[in-house]
This record gives sequence, structure tokens and C-alpha cells, in this order.
Amino acid sequence: MGATQIIGKREGQTRRELLRNAQRGVAAVALGGVGAFCPRTARADGAPMAVLKSAAIVKLLESFGETLVPGASEAGLAHYIDDQLAKRPEDSLLMIRYMDIPPPHDGFYVGAMAALDASSKVRFGAPFTELSTDQKRAFVGELSSGNPPGWSGPPSPLVYFVVRADAVDVVYGTEEGFERLGVPYLPHIPPETNW
Amino acid sequence: MTAAGDQAVEADVLIVGAGMAGAAMAAVLARGGRDVLILESGPDRSLTDLVSSQIWARRLKWSGAPVRHEGAHGFAHNLNTASGVGGAALHHYATWPRFHNDVFRLRSAYGRGLDWPFEYETLRPYYDRVQSEVGVAGDAEAETWRPEGAPYPLPPLPVFGQGAAIARGFEAAELPVAPLPAAILTAPYKGRAACLYDGWCDAGCPVGALANPLATYLREALEAGARVRPHCHVVRVLSNGDRASGVAFVDADGEPRSARAKVVVLAASAIQNPRILLNSPDKRRTDGAIGDRSGALGRYFMLDGLALAYGLFDDVETDPHMGVSAGQLMHRRTHAARGKDQPFGGYQWQIAPSMKPNDIFGIAISRSDIFGQELTDFMPRAVRHIGSMAGMVEETARIENRIELASAKGRSGAPLATVVHDFDEDARALWTYVRDEGARIMKAAGATEVWTGPMNAGHLLGGTIMGASPESSVTDGYGRVHDVENLYIGGSGLFPSS
Repeated sequence: MGATQIIGKREGQTRRELLRNAQRGVAAVALGGVGAFCPRTARADGAPMAVLKSAAIVKLLESFGETLVPGASEAGLAHYIDDQLAKRPEDSLLMIRYMDIPPPHDGFYVGAMAALDASSKVRFGAPFTELSTDQKRAFVGELSSGNPPGWSGPPSPLVYFVVRADAVDVVYGTEEGFERLGVPYLPHIPPETNW
Repeated sequence: MTAAGDQAVEADVLIVGAGMAGAAMAAVLARGGRDVLILESGPDRSLTDLVSSQIWARRLKWSGAPVRHEGAHGFAHNLNTASGVGGAALHHYATWPRFHNDVFRLRSAYGRGLDWPFEYETLRPYYDRVQSEVGVAGDAEAETWRPEGAPYPLPPLPVFGQGAAIARGFEAAELPVAPLPAAILTAPYKGRAACLYDGWCDAGCPVGALANPLATYLREALEAGARVRPHCHVVRVLSNGDRASGVAFVDADGEPRSARAKVVVLAASAIQNPRILLNSPDKRRTDGAIGDRSGALGRYFMLDGLALAYGLFDDVETDPHMGVSAGQLMHRRTHAARGKDQPFGGYQWQIAPSMKPNDIFGIAISRSDIFGQELTDFMPRAVRHIGSMAGMVEETARIENRIELASAKGRSGAPLATVVHDFDEDARALWTYVRDEGARIMKAAGATEVWTGPMNAGHLLGGTIMGASPESSVTDGYGRVHDVENLYIGGSGLFPSS
């Protein structure tokens, strides 16, 4: 390690704050209101969906997401995914971009939720949303490592990974999520909205 | 970022791709008085696009023509590349070590892979020059594996709690570490501000401390008069036989266009360069593409295997959100420095990269096996005590790993690229060795819980390799396509080894 300097988190705080304040105005202009949508608020307000028009699909997505990451449903997971699916593919912020699955991606989510429900009925004799908490936990553990019986759609481990990542985004990946975890956000250019 | 009033589609030098390789060449050529035009397939970018959010950062990643995968060991192409002015370097981690001497003579020294057409000493003055131009931080003396060269112009990156904790494990294993060499300013340099160590490199550095093209070579190129046209998707190189005359492209309105130039440079990534060439008929032959006289075009595609090791250090506040995305420290071992009974190849550990709660290299995904209440319990503990390191594992060039044209076509009408890639037995064995070493080091460092990630890969290399012989390579040592005197390749696609 030699003479390597060891420093703490407070170093440079003053200049960082100055930078943040200077950049907020720039960011607001640059983003031009693109980020004005707030999934948590949209869900609380019962805002209509743009792409995921089926109430059953939305209910499934919220139930599955909540099982994966507690708090995801209230944080507006379904509204977040729906809003992103409505954008041009190059503007989408969804993790599925990294999976090299060509857009559009609405078919992935719709197919995944249909597979989830169909398999749940084969496995437990009931739709996913009607399973007990323990049953949901056991089922999600099963599908995370391989397609369960009756699964027909995108591979279940991929569905688990992608929707879990989406749920992590809305629960932990926002300024609000950082704050709940006690992690200083320290933006150079803050996202326009706190989601 | 683009120059205003740009309508002319001809230039002295036409560069395809506004990433770091294209930008560096544009800066040098424009400063030298050449009229330089860069065609970029993605959108325009500016530093204000680099929002501090792992979610928003996804806009920077690849959104161009889909790339298909075949073979057992693929990789996340869209994650490893980018669309737009600045290219992948706009969100790169700026880990800038030097290739060691071994790398240039793999075939001669070990009977493996390929030789470069020159040795390290040929590149040494350029390493020295670039680190001075861009600003690289590090401690040359501490890097016992570093070949000879000028010391770094900037003092090393600082070490936070995470780096100090993991360094205990390397010390216990008697493996040396050094500050990670990074193209990140640790002090103000040439009018650019120093890093704040807020850990947002992956989302892009609007401060300009990290050497992205917008803060360095592209800015210089534009100041010297170079022009950039975004949303121009190049589909083929045009030639008159022995010389390239320009390129055919599809513009922002979807209209087919052509651009003319005295010199053409392809700097559009290790996958898109061969894709363009494979789609460019060589008029001198009845069946063949420009640059493919040797049959090596698209061949010898390589990746670095990626091994991830994690630990929880309950005795240390690791501050994982701080630092830089590349890491704070490095340990590197060449094949020559390792036992002959061990799997072939070299590797490096990038120790203590900054981690945010979410995203592909974030804290939650490090334990993708847990969910529900277990994840809820894990997160508050991990954001205070997690440590991680990434092992980059060498892959030797093999002709079977390749980029080829798919039968399917993209929106431009050009065939899509298919990547065929497998890690061979040696590469898999070395990856396993590195992964297991990572777990041992984490335990030796005092981590109370240790885990590792699955096999991943990154860093796109090869596909348009340079070489001494036109019979077995695509370009010469200058990146010039062997039998087309004014056509050049730029970027990591030239590398015959990783």
C-alpha cells in the first residue's frame, strides 16, 4: 500500500455541494421534463397504463415484484415498467436492455406473467396472486433456478433476474431508496425526479 | 457536442465511430490540419447527459442494430458497448494499465495464440505520450508488474475503507497490490477538475475528471475543426480496388447516402468494424470482402473472462458507494509470473470498485440468489460492509471465435452481426482458478461472509487483428488494412491478444 492516502467520505464535500447546485439547473434544462413521471405517485393515483392494459397482468406483476423485493409494489413497479415500455427503445431505462433481447419488450413481460400464472396453477392449483406468502416464496425460489412445471414463456431464471432488477431499481435505486438505506446519494447531476 | 452548420459529406479523413479510438485519431489529424469528419451511428451526447443514476445511465448503452450470439459463452453486448457520440468510453471505467511484454509474443514464447507485429518497446513512447495528454493516476513503482515507462503524471487514487479491508487479504496471501492505474484526475490537470470519488463513473463523469472522449480527445478534435454527424449508420466501405473512396451510410432520416474521403478509418467497435467490412464487396475478387484476403476478417474475437468475489466485513465501514467504478487497488499476474502447472494466461484483480445499491454491478445483484425478506435484511448491512473485486481473466485468441454476418438485416438494410464465442478449456480453468483465489483472499481479509459470482465476460477484442503477415491478419502494425492503402482500423479489434 506504501504511502497511499486513506480518506473518508467527507473529503471534498463542500465542492461537491457547489457542483450539485450548479448542475441542477443544467440537468433540468437538459432533461426537458423527461423524468417528470413518478411511478409511486402514478400508482397511488391509479394512473392508467400506456402499454400493460390488462389489469390482471398488472396485478400479477405487482404481486411477483413484491415477493421479490418488498416495497416494490407501492414504489410503483408496474407503472415504472409500463412507462418505460411506452418509450422508444433507445430511451428505455429497463435492465432488460442489457440482456441483448431485441425490443420491443412488452412481449417479454406479458409472456412472463402469463407463464407465471399458468405454472402457478399447475404447481399449486391456484393463480399466483392467490397463493399464500409461503407458497409464493417457495414458488419463486423454484423458478429462480429453472423452469417449473407448466412454465411456457421466457426462461423463468431470466424472468426472475429481470423483474427482480426492476424491483430493486424502484425500491433501492432512487434517491429515496438510497436515503432509506442511509447511503449518501452524492450526485454530480441529479436525476430530475426522486424515483 | 457536434459542430454546427455541418452539411458537407466529404473530407480529407472520414472516421466511422465517435468513441475513444475515433476521437483520438480525429484530434491528432485535425490538429495537423486535416479536414476530419466523424460519422456516428448513435445520437449526439454532451456532459450534461451524464446523470448520476444507474437507472438513467442505461440510455448510454447500446441501442443500435441487435447483435446475435452463438456458442456456449456469450456476453452482455449491450452492456459492454454504447450508442452515441463518445461511444463506450463515455461510461468506461478508465482502468488504464499497460500491456506487459508477454502479451506481444504469445505465439513465439509459448506456442499459444498470436504475436503482435511489434513489441512493447515500440508502443512505450505512445503510452508515455497518451498518459501525459489525458492524465493518468497511479504509482508506477508500486506496480511491480509494470513494464518500463514514464511515471504517471498524477498521484494515485485514494483508498477508502473497502480497499483497505480487502488489501488485508492480499497481504496475508503475500500478493502485492498497487494503486489502480486510472485515467481519472486525482488533481486538477490541463484545465480539467479533479475527481470527487462519488462512485458514479459507470453513469458517466460530467465533471470531466474521468477521461471520456467528451472531456478529452473529442473536445480537442472539435476545437481543431473536426466535424461529427450523429445518427449516420455506416453499412459498407466504398472502394475503387486498391483504395477506399468513402463509405455508404443511412442518415438520420433513413435515407441512403455516401461520404467521400482520401482516407477512411473504421473505429466503430470490435464487432461493428468487421460487420461493415464483411458487408463491403472487394471488387478485385469475385467472392470476398474488403480486408478479408487472409480469411482472418471477423476471426480471433476475444473477451476477458470476468470473475467476481464478494465479502461482508462487519468490522469495517467499507463505504462501497465511494471511490471509482474501476476499483481502488490492483493486483496483476502475468503467465510468466505464475507456475507452469497452472492454467495458461494472466489476470488482474481490480479491488474495491464503487458499488451502488442497484444495477448490474450493484449490491443487490451481487446476491441475486436471495429475495424477499432475506434481501430486505441484506441490503442495510451490505451498503455499509460489503467489499468486492473483479478479476479480469485473459483469453487466448482462437480462430473459431468470430464475428460473422447473420441472414437477418437491421433497419439500415445491412446484415446483423452474429458473435460466435466459446471459452476453451484453458480459459475456463483459469477463470475458476481466479474465482477461487478471490474467495480465499476475501476470507483471508477477514470477511465474515464470502461469495462469488457466475462466469461473465466483457471487453471486446480482436476480429480485425493486426499482424506482420498479410496472409494471416487483417491489418499491419499501423492498423492499415493490408491491401487497401488508405483504409485503417482503430480500437481494440486490432489486438491479437488480450
